[in-house]
Amino acid sequence: MLRTAAQRALNGAFVSPKQLGVLVTRGAGDAKKPAQIEVFIDDKPVLVDPGTTVLQAAALVGVEIPRFCYHERLAVAGNCRMCLVEVEKSPKPVAACAMPVMKGWRIKTDSEMTKKAREGVMEFLLVNHPLDCPICDQGGECDLQDQSMAFGSDRSRFTDIDFSGKRAVEDKDIGPLIKTIMTRCIHCTRCIRFASEVAGIDDLGTTGRGADMQVGTYVEKFFLSELSGNVIDLCPVGALTSKPYAFTARPWEIRRTDSIDVLDAVGSNIVVCTRTGEVLRILPRTNEEVNEEWLSDKSRFAYDGLKRQRLVSPMVKVDGQLQPVDWETALIAIGKKIKSAGSDIGVIAGGMADAEALVALKDLINKLGSEDVCTENPFPVNGSGTDLRSSYLLNNTIASAEEADVVLLVGTNIRLEAPLLNARIRKGYVHNETEIGVIGPQVDLRYDYTHVGDDPCSIKDLENGNDTFAKCLKNAKKPLIIVGQDALNRPDGSGVLLAAQSLAALIQKNVQDPQWKVLNILHKVAGQVAALDVGYVPGYEKLKDNSKLKVIYLLGADEAIERSQFPSDCFIIYQGHHGDCGAAIADAVLPGAAYTEKQATYVNTEGRAQQTLVAVSPPGLAREDWKIIRALSEFVGQRLPYDNLDQIRCRLEEIAPHLTRYGNVESANYFSQALALALKESATVNKKPISVTQKSLEDFYMTDVISRASATMAKCVTAYKTQQCSKY
Amino acid sequence: MASIILRSKISPSTVLKACSASLSTGAPSFAAETRDINKSICLKEAPLIKKEVGLMKREDIIQKQQHDEAMITIEKPSEVATFSGVPEEHIKGRRVRIFVPPKNAMQSGTDNIHQWSMQFDTRERWENPLMGWSSTGDPLSNVEVNFPNKDDAIAFCEKNGWAWFIDEKAPPKPMKPKSYGVNFSWNKRTRVSTK
Repeated sequence: MLRTAAQRALNGAFVSPKQLGVLVTRGAGDAKKPAQIEVFIDDKPVLVDPGTTVLQAAALVGVEIPRFCYHERLAVAGNCRMCLVEVEKSPKPVAACAMPVMKGWRIKTDSEMTKKAREGVMEFLLVNHPLDCPICDQGGECDLQDQSMAFGSDRSRFTDIDFSGKRAVEDKDIGPLIKTIMTRCIHCTRCIRFASEVAGIDDLGTTGRGADMQVGTYVEKFFLSELSGNVIDLCPVGALTSKPYAFTARPWEIRRTDSIDVLDAVGSNIVVCTRTGEVLRILPRTNEEVNEEWLSDKSRFAYDGLKRQRLVSPMVKVDGQLQPVDWETALIAIGKKIKSAGSDIGVIAGGMADAEALVALKDLINKLGSEDVCTENPFPVNGSGTDLRSSYLLNNTIASAEEADVVLLVGTNIRLEAPLLNARIRKGYVHNETEIGVIGPQVDLRYDYTHVGDDPCSIKDLENGNDTFAKCLKNAKKPLIIVGQDALNRPDGSGVLLAAQSLAALIQKNVQDPQWKVLNILHKVAGQVAALDVGYVPGYEKLKDNSKLKVIYLLGADEAIERSQFPSDCFIIYQGHHGDCGAAIADAVLPGAAYTEKQATYVNTEGRAQQTLVAVSPPGLAREDWKIIRALSEFVGQRLPYDNLDQIRCRLEEIAPHLTRYGNVESANYFSQALALALKESATVNKKPISVTQKSLEDFYMTDVISRASATMAKCVTAYKTQQCSKY
Repeated sequence: MASIILRSKISPSTVLKACSASLSTGAPSFAAETRDINKSICLKEAPLIKKEVGLMKREDIIQKQQHDEAMITIEKPSEVATFSGVPEEHIKGRRVRIFVPPKNAMQSGTDNIHQWSMQFDTRERWENPLMGWSSTGDPLSNVEVNFPNKDDAIAFCEKNGWAWFIDEKAPPKPMKPKSYGVNFSWNKRTRVSTK
């Protein structure tokens, strides 16, 4: 818990330019790689880099050494001792996770001594562990359970139970997401290391020694972080389990469907766990290029929102009230309205629309003779607009953010808008000595940064200026500029983008790596990049001005949409999965499928196309979104030429081939052309300070229709407010 | 595409040829025996006739022989779907996902993720009102077949007539040596002052 203070003292809040110079050269220095050394794991030879631990060397030849405290993505702790192995000619077994290999070592991972060491460790662990597996939520996917099958003894030598009793620890209340049963804790300290290294919240720690040691927050405090749910996965026993999932299911009775998260623009890979047509929990799925193996709390726990506020039947307004009807009635009514409107029809696509639905709807509207297909979220359209992909993508990919040496964040609370990208930046901050600068409000990002300025003029000042951070940015070998949506959605958004483009062009010149792209745009919603890729117009300002408009089609558009923005005689159709703002103002409602209920394409903020899979079927009469539009096209008299998923994906491929190359990032270039085109139009910035919509953790939890309908997310907001009143 | 030959390894035609040969040699040798009685005394036992061929009529044997010689090898994957008796609704319109199962985030073990698996598209499931168990009308919903590589999985799907798609493995990250020492380095942000 003293770590932050110690860090500040060690690093200094202010870093002098001299030190920075040293850091930069060290970061970029490509020293010659020392020769690899040969070691033998169970007599199998393997060549490894010097400094590799025994455990890593064993992993290279496919030998998995049992462990509790060691985790690939956390610092080495070496305190559980489960990974003890025998090294030939060594009198004692060594801890494989912490011991670097030496040349010619013969490591025996399966010898009598190794086995005895592990059995000894296991016996001590089990002495202090309750025998409550039948009622434990971790049962069936518990590392202690697994490993005790191999190394546990079936006889107990624990006689102290008759005298002082079994160890018992009081449970902690660390918030509405994580349930603690601290008696089960084996003190691996994974949660502590995760909290302080990855999440940057140094709230967890240990108190006491020996048998009295406890993991907790010391004072009564919630563990509030946007990444807190990951400690549930990390915990090798059942000490930290999921509160919303408690006593719900066993791992062997659930079905797992690999999918993609759409609650932010990162596109985290997830596993949707279901049983009987119900989503029971969501777990992260390892993808080194996107989310590593973490998941943000909103993506992990908002799943209960999928069961509430759902639209389960088509509805049409009768006498001022929305009445549930069958599909045919709804489609006939809507078809008539659209037919009579002719080309006076506009579309607003929301943040969770998938590429298939976007393409089908755009095709239909274009067939009707209208070009008014807009997205709900705006984006500056000066210069090349959204014609060049490089102007609206996180060009340098999420994974390489951790390699950056200088990062400039413009108008974004990146910690809440893209928690996993922020975790990458924090990783760079801890391991790579990354320097971070912020333009915009001074939000809490869980790492130290230089506050460059409040308003967009600071971008220009950086370009011309000569202060410490400007120098640092200009001399950087791997600099990143990440521009958030809150900076671009201002009236002078095009000016902000232009300023960022020209600053990026200036510092791009110093970058040696041809693959490194300085300019990065961070989106907030999952559907925006796909919408821009297929040719939607960002922002619906032009629909507001159009008084001729007769029909408006809302494809999951729910944020700050009001009836008064459109002509009063306008017929509003809402297609989506939740009854929120959009459905409230609609004259007709078509129930669509949520992301767990359809096989659909999403493109994340870096331009990576990924697909969700069907985990459960849509509730009630709800159907997959593109199928609804396809059916509607028949009633409008403009039949769309695709009947199944393969056919519509062929259409997607025709429009933008990258949309069906799943898993790949289709990178974009043409930065200089985009800048040249932007320079043709004058775009200025004003002195108004940039503000962000998500200021504190309280604003993180409920940002879209699913998380707004989630009771768990509401509890998190309450917990945050309670915590603010607490004296700790 | 793997070529599957429509002929078993021990071809029935070769068996038949051998048997019919023994039959045809049997008849003239019998004729010879009648001529020389001494030879028939030397003959200890009648030549062994294969059971399945022995019961056939001569014309049947010839017909079978002709049929087997006329048999051709088709250099394309066999399609079981056409004669397997599986209803068409479970062949057409099904999509199989071929993938490598991900590691369970809750566990550190990796024993069951080193193979390719196949999974059908999810159809409706519901809670059975009697016991609360999961019910489904989809007979393929519980099919779980593992393959050592994706080519085998593809061949299996092709054979059964299912449309398939592949979810490629996300590339692994190169290993970086970890060090216990960074917890104590005095001038780095990795320093841990307490736990």
